[in-house]
Amino acid sequence: MDKKRITFLSIFLFLAINVISLSKVIEGYYGQEYSHVYTFMIVALISTGLATIAFFLWRKEEYKR
Amino acid sequence: MSEDKKNKNHPDNDQDMMKLVDNLNRKEDVNLNRRAFLKASFGTTVALGLATTPFGVMSAIGNDKEDTERIEIATADELAVGEAKNFNYPTEDEPAVLVRTPDDQYVAYNNKCTHLQCPVFYEHKDNVLLCPCHKGYFDVNSGHPIAGPPQRELPKILLEVKDGKVFAVGREYRHG
Repeated sequence: MDKKRITFLSIFLFLAINVISLSKVIEGYYGQEYSHVYTFMIVALISTGLATIAFFLWRKEEYKR
Repeated sequence: MSEDKKNKNHPDNDQDMMKLVDNLNRKEDVNLNRRAFLKASFGTTVALGLATTPFGVMSAIGNDKEDTERIEIATADELAVGEAKNFNYPTEDEPAVLVRTPDDQYVAYNNKCTHLQCPVFYEHKDNVLLCPCHKGYFDVNSGHPIAGPPQRELPKILLEVKDGKVFAVGREYRHG
């Protein structure tokens, strides 16, 4: 699988991770399970960072002449 | 009506026809949509990821407050077996129900239904906690939902029976 396809698909993987993380964070916040909130918030932020890297790699490949 | 207006939807020269053909270039169309779709997905990913941070900040602020206040809520002989009493814990805005179960145990829960916050009552006949709004049932021994729309357990109030008095000494949101 080429780099462009991997980065393309990974963004959807990170999207799924963030959807789940956000739901866990909200659940943890209202359930006052603060350790869950911090854990899933960190997961979501790391996933967002990786998605950003993947997006720029994809863009570099996509718009390459 | 002017002649221009009448003919505005009709191509009047070759240039317009060429634009129309360009617009039907399917390959180009698909490429543009694919790119736009990925960019929108990336934007959504970032938005959802960043949406978790306010909860983290609010948790860090609210984490200091612990529900460990010790309050006398009843005397041990005030309730007969199978009876319940309402009280507020840990603040006046948070209603709760104390139940003396048929097993002669004291249990207490905040009695706002975890579905839509309606008050929950003790049903002696069936030995369950009932939310009459949408027929949500909770197990009286554990506070966990057993039927109806609620998905989460009722917050459990920790009790201590000492010198013939029942005290509320803490609260657990997730238990069992």
